[in-house]
Amino acid sequence: MSNAIEVKELRKEFKSYSSRSGLKGAFRDLFTRNYKVIPAVEDISFTVRQGEMVGYIGENGAGKSTTIKMLTGILTPTSGLVQANGMNPHKEREKFVQTIGVVFGQRSQLWWDIAVQESFRLLKKVYRVSDEDYNEHMNHVIESLDIGPLLDKPVRKLSLGQRMRCELAAALLHNPPLLFLDEPTIGLDVLVKLKIRNFLKEINEKYNTTILLTTHDLSDIEALCERVVMLDEGKIIYDGKLAELRSNWGEGKQIEFQFSNQVDDQQLDPLVKELDVFWTKGDRHNVWVANVPHEEEVISELIGRVVAAHKITDIKIHEISTEEIIRNIYEEGVIHGKIR
Amino acid sequence: MFYVSMFFQYLSQYMKTRLTYRVDLFVEIFSDLLFQAVNLIFILVVFGHTQFLSGWTRDEIIFIYGFFLVPFAFFSSFFNIWDFNERYIVKGEMDRILTRPIHSLFQIILERMELESLFGVITGLAVMFYAGSRLDLSISWYDPFVFIVLVLGGALVYGGIFVILASISFWSDSRTSIMPMMYNIGNYGRYPVNIYNKVIRFILTWILPFAFVGVYPSAYFLGKEEWYGYAFLTPVMGIAFFGISVILWNIGVTKYRGAGS
Repeated sequence: MSNAIEVKELRKEFKSYSSRSGLKGAFRDLFTRNYKVIPAVEDISFTVRQGEMVGYIGENGAGKSTTIKMLTGILTPTSGLVQANGMNPHKEREKFVQTIGVVFGQRSQLWWDIAVQESFRLLKKVYRVSDEDYNEHMNHVIESLDIGPLLDKPVRKLSLGQRMRCELAAALLHNPPLLFLDEPTIGLDVLVKLKIRNFLKEINEKYNTTILLTTHDLSDIEALCERVVMLDEGKIIYDGKLAELRSNWGEGKQIEFQFSNQVDDQQLDPLVKELDVFWTKGDRHNVWVANVPHEEEVISELIGRVVAAHKITDIKIHEISTEEIIRNIYEEGVIHGKIR
Repeated sequence: MFYVSMFFQYLSQYMKTRLTYRVDLFVEIFSDLLFQAVNLIFILVVFGHTQFLSGWTRDEIIFIYGFFLVPFAFFSSFFNIWDFNERYIVKGEMDRILTRPIHSLFQIILERMELESLFGVITGLAVMFYAGSRLDLSISWYDPFVFIVLVLGGALVYGGIFVILASISFWSDSRTSIMPMMYNIGNYGRYPVNIYNKVIRFILTWILPFAFVGVYPSAYFLGKEEWYGYAFLTPVMGIAFFGISVILWNIGVTKYRGAGS
């Protein structure tokens, strides 16, 4: 299987000018300016296979957008190697962009004042898409994204959700094998998000389209991507399966019991003597939480013993969410099992 | 060929946009005409006091002004890039341009064209015919062709200078007032260069060759043979300057830093 994206030791540095304080400093700045070289992306390497859907995540300023811009040929790398669709993006940019689709959530591809279909028509010419290809492909896209009724409206009159779906359709107009999505679901409601996710899955299955997705909304990644690449301060700190990330860092489960009578840890501790479980007091009255760090087989045993010994009114099983996992990773900076 | 067809595609898109804002269209044409009228009145006022300026008559200078309007009209229709820095670099619109498979400068020219300014061609021709008839200029069969070549050369000189200035934004994205200043300097090309001192004449000929937009090519039609050499240099200068500007632009694109986010 061929690689859609190949990145080796990729680095991008920006010069950042700092101004001196005061009037005197401002005069000195006129002649010699202080600057620091700040690496936005530091020697990252990864490959993406054709047909993969990869989530690219990181905090603001971690270097996600910079990487995407280098992969799309907008920025020239300071050093390192980028190869996408078998081409060097910034060297053969005009030829390369013919084979990719790009959606920047914060920026519009469409012409503001004219109807959506006019934008499509012009983009069709820009990408030199033939009438047959356009009809076959776009009719399907328009139908799945449900934008048929929007086509004759000017873009400025569309809501954000409507516009975003049209943007996505515009990016796929030439049916590119590689799709970059930078924050595609930012500010959208749940229904539109679902529609977009389903559509992306469908496109991926039908055309084997490779999709690289950056987002702050981890539910997007959970719904779409098997693999995540996690970036922090310009470096890759995790690259692997999302499921693996969960099992390595997931810290098991928590079971919350609501007891009908007053209980204390003297009564509860003996119940879990030989099990790998410890109790913490819950935040409400008569609530205790059993933490099960590793073996999930003990859950039924635990519940059985607790229920046999005490009367309970409610029981909840919590799993640590991916969001929490990622927050933990950023706060502590290391990952169990996999440190890069 | 692809680029020619793209031009017409964008053109039709442009017309559709313009027709949705009809009032704007008329306001713009009106303000253009007003601007040209003010400039013409200025020339008339200056010549209210004198009949000759370094050997040029009032009508000759009006003729130069008329000629200048024609390449300037083409320039302002297609090189409407004075706000390139703010619009494309600071706001990051350049990102979008760079993800489309057409040369970036060409895309920006197409996106930003303002065909209303082409009305300047009509005013320019009218002014030239008025001045020309008072000067008893004769027109030979090849003059219209020479005219077209010289106008294109002049427009390219103008365009080249402004593309070079726009390219600077790729290196430094701080706001500069260079563009409005250039519009002012550009106006000096409308007057006979021999009224200026040597340094300014040199600058207007070789460094910021605005003289090739007005006075040099007009000299050909006015029959001023001592300037013929410069007149025929116009298309050469146009192609050279525009070529340099495109090269500079292409280098600039690789230095593009993108906007934040």
